[in-house]
Amino acid sequence: MFELQDVCKVYEMKGVETHALRGATLEIRKGEYVAILGPSGSGKSTLMHIMGCLDTPTKGGVFVEGRKVSEMNDDELARIRREKIGFVFQAYNLIPGLTAIENVALPLRLGGHGRGESQRKAKEVLRKVGLGERTTHKPNELSGGEQQRVAIARSLINDPDAILADEPTGNLDTKSGKEIFELLENLHKKTGKTIIVVTHDINLAKRAHREIRIMDGKIVN
Amino acid sequence: MLDLALKDLKEHKVRTILTALGIFIAITAIVSLGSISAGVNELIASSGILGSDYVFVMKSFEISEMIGPGGAYQIEDIEADTLEELKSLSGVDRVVPIIARQFGGFFEVDGLDMDNVDMFGAENLEFKEGGWPENEDRGAALGFLPASMLDVVVGDYITLNKKEVEVMGIFEEGSGAYDLVILMPYDYADEIYETEGGATQIIIEPEDVTLVEEIKQTIEDEHDDLDAMTMEDALSMMEEVTGTLNIMTFGIGFIASIVAAIGIIITMYTSVLERRRQLGIMKAVGALRRTILIQILQEGLLLSVASSVLAVGISFFFVDLLNNVLLGGINLAVITPVLAIGAVAYGVLLTVISSLYPAWIAVKTDPIKAIREG
Repeated sequence: MFELQDVCKVYEMKGVETHALRGATLEIRKGEYVAILGPSGSGKSTLMHIMGCLDTPTKGGVFVEGRKVSEMNDDELARIRREKIGFVFQAYNLIPGLTAIENVALPLRLGGHGRGESQRKAKEVLRKVGLGERTTHKPNELSGGEQQRVAIARSLINDPDAILADEPTGNLDTKSGKEIFELLENLHKKTGKTIIVVTHDINLAKRAHREIRIMDGKIVN
Repeated sequence: MLDLALKDLKEHKVRTILTALGIFIAITAIVSLGSISAGVNELIASSGILGSDYVFVMKSFEISEMIGPGGAYQIEDIEADTLEELKSLSGVDRVVPIIARQFGGFFEVDGLDMDNVDMFGAENLEFKEGGWPENEDRGAALGFLPASMLDVVVGDYITLNKKEVEVMGIFEEGSGAYDLVILMPYDYADEIYETEGGATQIIIEPEDVTLVEEIKQTIEDEHDDLDAMTMEDALSMMEEVTGTLNIMTFGIGFIASIVAAIGIIITMYTSVLERRRQLGIMKAVGALRRTILIQILQEGLLLSVASSVLAVGISFFFVDLLNNVLLGGINLAVITPVLAIGAVAYGVLLTVISSLYPAWIAVKTDPIKAIREG
């Protein structure tokens, strides 16, 4: 599903270069449930962003389902993000002015689907993540756990092959965090989607089928 | 996606109102000024005095004399003996003296030969009541507006230069420039205004059209104190006046547009910066560059259509106020359909063009930076 070959990412801020990834190579097969572990600043999020086609590497090759995405333009990457990958962020990243159902329907609307059709599908997905009764609430009217469920529903709306979750429990209490993990696990069991989760929590990471550890921008296992 | 654009405009009411206000002011200014320009053009076109092949004679004047209270009425009269000299010019058929005086601020009293009203295109005017005074009558025919303002009917008297003058006829409403005049026989006007056989203006009809230029030249050569104008000169002078008015309208409209455009750019740009995180999220979940561009332009489009239509609607009210309150019922300003539709189209175009730069900034949003930095 995902293949990274000697990927490097260098950020430059005010003339100072920061090496977020230093030759990361890995392969994640379709249907795998993978946890990415590593300390803060180790490059986990950068790795996720590059796999999720949100960012491009400075050097190296990135392949999603065999297609080389590291050389694609903005719009080609946007299409892959919309159709192949669902992204879940630590800070939920919902649009504050939109209701839960509108947030979930957004990727469909951006793909040119009508309002009615998009909202019907969004309602169905919200029901699946246990929020069937909270569809018209705005993000500030929902708890952290509920907001993350909305974000997961949004990542699922286009029925992508893979869900990439970047510390999805980082802003949640232990109970809500556990529930979110269970939701992702169930999703994997029921649909066989590829799930990649970045986490600090070793206990939660152990529930995944495979752990990938990253240190100073390099894959260490 | 139009519903999302509308939702975003509603979410940020202050910003939306400020942007709309900029467009509204510019379009109102353009329509209001344009309506005066259009109205003056129509008034000139409807003026009967633009007959064909006449020579118009007045005392020489400087443009500066035309400006200020009284305007054109400060120009001296042509003396009686000069009038006689003009009558004796060779090649001249009709010589019609006019005594013109200002009345009540907006109106003009014209003393002229009642047998020659055809020279002013006035022979077919309809009367609401009464009719033309004869040359020997001691009365006047009033335009609709002075009659309404003075609240008189035929048989009543009006005061001109402290003398009582009988109302003998009132024109129908909608007689163009004749809505604004009081016409009376030349001899009676001469008596009322004590002009001693002189005239404010003299209109000369040559025996033959080909003599127009020659007569004009002769008058200017023989009378240093007189200005003679042919129809062609008069037309070009009026074109100059309307041209100046049009340039003024264009200039003020242009400045208003620049100010509005800067306002739109600033508020839309601020809006894009404020929504950077939202735009980043949209891109992260798969929005194409084109989708973001359309989203921002749609907001501009919605704003501009609403505020331009409102501006044109309000301009009708302003124009009505200008015509009926400030100008006492003279329909000087006119909003033509071309002006109304053109102004809305211009408002939309102005906003869409001004939204391009903020839209481009939105398109270039880096999703990761926008989400991380907000």
